Amino acid sequence: MRRIGSWLVLSFRLLRWEVLASVAGTALLAAAMLWFTWQLRTLAATEPACLDPTTYVAACEQSPQPFYELSSRAELLSYLGWAAPFGMGLVLGIPLVSREIEQRTAGMAWALSRSRARWLAWRVAFAALVLIVLLLVVAIASEVLASAQMPNRHLDDDFAWYGRRGGLIVVRGLASLGIGVLLGAVLGRVLPALLVAAFASVLIFTAISFGMDRWTEADAIVQPYGVDLAGGRYLGQRVELPNGELIDYGELQRRGLSAEWFQDDMIFAREEDVGHPERMIGRDRGLILPGRLYPQIVLRESGIVGGATVLLALAATAVVRRRRPG
Amino acid sequence: MSVNQPILEARALAKRYGRRTWALTGIDLAIPQGGITALVGPNAAGKSTLIKTWVGFERPTRGGVMVAGIDPWRDRSGVLRLVGYIPHPPALYDGLSVDDHLDLAVQLRPDFDRAYARRRLDELGIPGDQAGKSLSGGQQAQVALALALGTRARILLLDEPLASLDPLARREFLHVLTDAVRSDGTTALLSSHIVTDVEQACDRLVVLGVGKILLHDTVADALATHWLTTDAGASAHGEAIGSFGGPTGERLTLLRTALAATAATNVRPATLEEVVLGYLASGRGKPGEAAA
Repeated sequence: MRRIGSWLVLSFRLLRWEVLASVAGTALLAAAMLWFTWQLRTLAATEPACLDPTTYVAACEQSPQPFYELSSRAELLSYLGWAAPFGMGLVLGIPLVSREIEQRTAGMAWALSRSRARWLAWRVAFAALVLIVLLLVVAIASEVLASAQMPNRHLDDDFAWYGRRGGLIVVRGLASLGIGVLLGAVLGRVLPALLVAAFASVLIFTAISFGMDRWTEADAIVQPYGVDLAGGRYLGQRVELPNGELIDYGELQRRGLSAEWFQDDMIFAREEDVGHPERMIGRDRGLILPGRLYPQIVLRESGIVGGATVLLALAATAVVRRRRPG
Repeated sequence: MSVNQPILEARALAKRYGRRTWALTGIDLAIPQGGITALVGPNAAGKSTLIKTWVGFERPTRGGVMVAGIDPWRDRSGVLRLVGYIPHPPALYDGLSVDDHLDLAVQLRPDFDRAYARRRLDELGIPGDQAGKSLSGGQQAQVALALALGTRARILLLDEPLASLDPLARREFLHVLTDAVRSDGTTALLSSHIVTDVEQACDRLVVLGVGKILLHDTVADALATHWLTTDAGASAHGEAIGSFGGPTGERLTLLRTALAATAATNVRPATLEEVVLGYLASGRGKPGEAAA
């Protein structure tokens, strides 16, 4: 126990400002989210019928307005929940190795520790622990806020605020930590590593998001473009040809067809064809991932991001084992 | 490892940084067990590179090194078990107190002798609760030495720990080091470019020029076999090693001879600093030449 206590104290002191900044940021964000939750719930409780999209109540023409105004601000706040794992992961991860090299303490530490891999694990474990605890707070607070902002939706089967609530926040944070540690170890300087890691994070997570969308297309359903998503996730716009083939607009152009005129969901190449359904090129469609797949997709992305985190950790260990202490 | 086997070895060791810069060019060196060896040379002579190669922080470009029969690049953890190391400069952590540094050493190395290290610091009056970075340069060097000594390692590799210390701090450091080496039977290698400081403390002397060994001898033999002359024709008395400018502008030549040359005019015993200066003057050359 004493050994663990000493590890916690020393690790905190070595990462004091980053931990304090992360705690302060989390506390502010969670407090703001909970305040919005309270406000939204108070407003919703006064006119519950007005927030039910399935019924129309004439008296509700004006009354839910304060709710929706607050709701749009809460939505903006949710984007901070989306950004938190990237920011905190990099802030906590980058200095772990790069500052040791920059301030020339790595030589002493690596000579005292017989294994650099163990030293790295010793350093990273604390940052990961702090990150998990703080991001869990953000994940729960944003989940609570989402439920207050969308009181009539069942969010366990709903892609609303995807990546801005729940466990994905924690998993993405750990991957960002891995990116920070790896690039900090490679570059050996805090500020350059921060800039490069921020850029690398954008690239890596964009690639993962793009890959996820392509992977989940097979599970998507086709519905008329613009129809309410009903908890589903929009993957892209498609054209359904009269023969039933589904292609994207790029493919449509490659086939020498040009979508120039629209009538309802029908697409026409020439103005004179409009009003003649038999002359349409095809129908405008949306590719939608149904809301019921939400838990499965979150699990899949968590697996991919978790796998990437393991690879990043292995790469960081390899770099630390081979690099000069500065 | 047998008693006679050198504890630190370098065989045809060459180290190149980048494509062109040679830090070491064919080093052959065998340092026996026990005592303190001074590794002396000017800036950029390759002292730090040589020490880092023994710690396993640098990979030889050619040749190899051994620490107590172990190749540090192949078995770094095996070597680190035997070595206490002070890097140059001996940086302490920002935001950690002196005692925190000792706790950190215990965390990283479970067999670290914290009580021993603390006792060494107590003897010097260095408080445990003071921030490491707020200590004077001399005290920071002492904390770094205590961290190296607390490993209870058989070998201490100390990379210029005396640089930037005032004379009193240097003396204190060497006193603690000498005391520890004598009482524990440790082997220490101390690199420095300040010859006068290591003269009293060290048993052996290695002079490193730009990337190559110029002299390796005991301090006693180095003093007994080297002479200094202002006479240009005095080389008849022994092997002329190198010439350098004296404090009053005269040209001094270092001679090496087994015989006492006191009978000759203008010949006197060389001090250790003059021995080093003579060898450094002899070794001036481009670092890449020997390796090419």
